Amino acid sequence: MKKKCIAMLLAGGQGSRLYALTQNVAKPSVPFGGKYRIIDFPLSNCANSGIDTVGVMTQYRPLQLNSYIGSGQPWDLDVNDGGVYILPPYQSAGEKGSWFTGTANAIYQNLAFVENYDPDTVVILSGDHIYKMDYADMVREHVEHDAACTISVLTVTLEEATRFGMMNLGPDGYIKEFEEKPKHPKSTLASMGIYVFDWQKLRKYLIQDEADPNSRHDFGHNIIPAMIADGEKIWPYRFNGYWRDVGTIDSLWEANMDMLSPQLIDLYDPEWPISARSPICPPHQVGAHADINHSIVTEGCEIDGILENSVLSPSVHVGVGAHVKYSVLMPGVVVEAGASVEYAIIGENTVVHAGARVGASPAPGADKCITTIGPSLEIPAGSTVKVGAMISTSEEV
Amino acid sequence: MKDFHGLIFAYYTDPKLRELVSMRTAASLPFCGRYRLIDFSLSAMRNAGIVDVGVIMQRDYQSLLDHLGGGKAWDMARRTGGLRMLPPFGLPEYHRGNYAGTMEALIAVSSYIKSVKAKYFVLMLGDMCANIDLTLPMEQHRKSGAPITAICTDRADAEGFRMTYIPGENGKAKQILIDTVDEKEGVLSLEAYIINKETLLELMETSRKQSLYRFHKDTLDNWLKNGGQMDIYIHHGYTALIRNVDSYYKANMDMLDSEIRHELFPTERPVFTKIREEVSTYYGVDSYSRNSLVADNCIIDGSIENCIIFSGARIAVGAKLKNCIVMSDCVVEANCVLDHCIVDKDVSFSAGTVLNGNERLPIIVPKGSHI
Repeated sequence: MKKKCIAMLLAGGQGSRLYALTQNVAKPSVPFGGKYRIIDFPLSNCANSGIDTVGVMTQYRPLQLNSYIGSGQPWDLDVNDGGVYILPPYQSAGEKGSWFTGTANAIYQNLAFVENYDPDTVVILSGDHIYKMDYADMVREHVEHDAACTISVLTVTLEEATRFGMMNLGPDGYIKEFEEKPKHPKSTLASMGIYVFDWQKLRKYLIQDEADPNSRHDFGHNIIPAMIADGEKIWPYRFNGYWRDVGTIDSLWEANMDMLSPQLIDLYDPEWPISARSPICPPHQVGAHADINHSIVTEGCEIDGILENSVLSPSVHVGVGAHVKYSVLMPGVVVEAGASVEYAIIGENTVVHAGARVGASPAPGADKCITTIGPSLEIPAGSTVKVGAMISTSEEV
Repeated sequence: MKDFHGLIFAYYTDPKLRELVSMRTAASLPFCGRYRLIDFSLSAMRNAGIVDVGVIMQRDYQSLLDHLGGGKAWDMARRTGGLRMLPPFGLPEYHRGNYAGTMEALIAVSSYIKSVKAKYFVLMLGDMCANIDLTLPMEQHRKSGAPITAICTDRADAEGFRMTYIPGENGKAKQILIDTVDEKEGVLSLEAYIINKETLLELMETSRKQSLYRFHKDTLDNWLKNGGQMDIYIHHGYTALIRNVDSYYKANMDMLDSEIRHELFPTERPVFTKIREEVSTYYGVDSYSRNSLVADNCIIDGSIENCIIFSGARIAVGAKLKNCIVMSDCVVEANCVLDHCIVDKDVSFSAGTVLNGNERLPIIVPKGSHI
């Protein structure tokens, strides 16, 4: 079945810097922004961009991700010819098989999947970015500029540029040089890790790269530089909207807080819905003692405490007299009466028992310090969790 | 072989529901912030493993069809069996009015009923609000040997009932009191039944021959008087039959009571419904909210107290809502004051509107109004 364009979504990452939250789940299935998981953003973008065939490459702790994606029905990706496919590493006859050794290797191992659809272009996506983007527009520019590869870029400040892969352009506007985290950046165009490739070109470079024993099999380190070296046309697609990588605790917390500001990213726009697999609970209840300000709350929650600047996932309970400030509470979290949670991220189904204190607001002028509690833990009544701690096992509590 | 087949009556709408049912049947009345009444009977069947279900409808069923879709939300979109919509067919030409009773509604879909291979039918109302664990009466029905099992309640706070069964010494039904509610002498009927297929077909045939179409007054009353066996199953959970504006308003407001709400929405028997959107509700910096149920995709900048707010509401700064039911996609602009209102879908209130109903007489604001 020939398709013009398909997407390949890299969802195998461990997310080691989020370790308390990703011990048992892959980073793309970490709850985010109330009703979502991180992977809902690229999947919804695909559906909204008219891409109906998506290969999701999984490797690290895929169980929850697999069941979350299921048939792809929440994203309208349950179609007859195409849809969403989970692609784990596999063995072939006579070969031992191996894990995905890099982003490029993950696609290489799935050449047969892509070739099924004989696409003109392939969109390569990452499962840990929060943004709304029309990939169809990017593909259109890619075709218009007759590019072998198009890289989505964001304008950043020179200080920020030292943390990104930076793109230096030639006079014709095509990318002529790629520098990973440069000490002395020459441009302000940062790669967002979103690529459109001409499939036949990409195929050639993937095969070539696989044969190189010194390669890290990575798009940024190997494939793109090899294409630049060969003088292939690489076009920068300029993106002006909201985009966040949520690879660290601080960035995950900040991006969650951004969900409270529709001027940054408007999740209420019916023209570009971000979809999720929903649990179907009754509407949330606001109790007789509740006080909720500048927060998002969703189905199944029962709030009888004080909520400020916080992001709640489904079925969170906050008891009478409890304070939740500047925090992210994942599905099923319980904050019992009189407990306080400030500047914290709390994993699924963790219980903060009565009167316990998790995290604290920063002193005036001081930097914030986020406290993280992993999933399914119990914070004992009356206890205090050290500010900035990352708790992942019950022994550490 | 599946033994049980579901039938839901969604054709009857009590005119005492007034403007709320001018565009819809009672079965598709919005309830508790995100549901439609028919979700309760569909979910009860689904949770008991019955996914072959016919929905009998007669008129104004557009909104019901929208809601049901292919039955996916209840796992009833099946290649074999699944959800079947049963609008009138095979009725004689001269028949253009309402069904004269449940029996006529059944006779109108008799070819469907005959084609079903199951041994037993579970009959339920589409406008019933209760979370029944049907596996219990199903088991009881299999064992008791009575061709009919009536599902009843002993709850004194129950709403909207019309029929009472008086049990005999053996626990089986002895007598039915029509249009009578007497929870002291008997048990109140949820008008839900489990019935053997051949018994149902016999009753339909008798009813057709005698042109007597009322289910309780004609058919079941005669059944008992002629010595027919009818077992009784008692459902103890919260139950309301939504028959008028009062019971609609009260049942919604009952959901503010956590105990009652958990009784109706227990985690082990979820109530399924069509999924609308996937975005949380935002509470603004100066919002005030107390004792309310709020669905997703709302933006609340004003104040709400004792309210049921459906999805998509936009409540502006300075607006004050008390004791209101606000259905989907309503806009309340700045400084409006609403008290004891039932606001139907897609209503907008321009800034400064004041509407005060009271508990005895909540104001109904019809669908799509701009005020």
